[in-house]
Amino acid sequence: MAGFAELNLLALADRKALRAVLEAAARLGYSTVAINHVIDFKEKKQEIPKPISPSELLPSLPIIPGKLKPIKIVTRLTLVVSDPSHCNVLRATSSNIRLYDIIAVFPKTEKLFHVACTNLDVDLICISVTEKLPFYFRRPPVNMAIDRGIYFEVLYTPAIKDSTMRRYTISNALSLVQICKGKNVIISSAAERPLELRGPYDVANLGLLFGLSESDAKAAVSTNCRAILLHGETRKTACGVVYTMKKPQPVEEEEETLPACKRAKTQV
Amino acid sequence: MAEGGAGEPPPPPRAPLERLVLKNAAEHHYLRVSLEFPDGGVRLNAAHFKQLVVSALKELHGEVGAALPVDVLTYDEKTLSAILRVSSSGFVKLWSALTLLGSYQNRKCAFRVVQTSPFLLALSGNSRELVLD
Repeated sequence: MAGFAELNLLALADRKALRAVLEAAARLGYSTVAINHVIDFKEKKQEIPKPISPSELLPSLPIIPGKLKPIKIVTRLTLVVSDPSHCNVLRATSSNIRLYDIIAVFPKTEKLFHVACTNLDVDLICISVTEKLPFYFRRPPVNMAIDRGIYFEVLYTPAIKDSTMRRYTISNALSLVQICKGKNVIISSAAERPLELRGPYDVANLGLLFGLSESDAKAAVSTNCRAILLHGETRKTACGVVYTMKKPQPVEEEEETLPACKRAKTQV
Repeated sequence: MAEGGAGEPPPPPRAPLERLVLKNAAEHHYLRVSLEFPDGGVRLNAAHFKQLVVSALKELHGEVGAALPVDVLTYDEKTLSAILRVSSSGFVKLWSALTLLGSYQNRKCAFRVVQTSPFLLALSGNSRELVLD
């Protein structure tokens, strides 16, 4: 079974707090977590920072109870776009975007939502849960996104904090699930504190509230998250089939004794 | 006289194949829950605990949710953990209400649902962690 994954833990400036959240996630049973760096382009021009490397954050990764492996930490970048020019950074090949495992986009207008579903090279599209949806979902772009392997993300932490947010979360999630028929949805927290996290089965139960079927709700925390990680990996490969790896160079003296035709050819 | 098969009585007619499906879904679902506070040190007696559960149901599912028959079967004040019983139709409502509860008397808290089962006996152990020696 695909292990449970929590794909949105805010990258806090305070390392100790982030470590506490990671340990809470491991204790609750998540096998994979993604540390999310949020970049909002509305403010002054921002550079994309390098992602936190998990090894410098936690020297020894916490072990998930019940399994022997430690928790796996990946990095994620979320771009909050409100203007089409903000999307250009996704096409730039020199920025630090390549270093992130998952790329998500948070469109604020209907046009940007359409562009994100059809053209942009992202893994996740975030759905706003803290305000009334600024646009209605339409079936054609949503179906195109599902065909391209893009997932929609619904957050649940705002619903824990405030009752108005609860209403917005449930209504936005319900309209999303109605349009996409329950496919390609993941539920994640945007937790800043360990108490805001909920266990994977609790989150799957919330999926039932949002209108997902039982199998879709469990997939929202496990299978779909694994698919997103794989989708993110295909960005580093050619068509998802070919990886390039640096092969260690053979020792020099071996090459001189053999004639050219007998030297070992580079193997794949 | 040994007659052949002609004297034997005909075999009894076979009863038509019947399929019985018993959908005796359990009436109640049981949950083992534990309330977590960030710095501990909060005392709650059983009555307050039940009131907290009912108010969580009321916040999320309104009066109809608050009217759900929930029972606190056991409660441990030191660890703030309890076993709740709810009728199966209201199970999803109760679980989602407990998940989305954020605070108690202006203090942040979290409900951790440890185990759930339609059978009370199943709450005594975790079959996934059975070790065969």
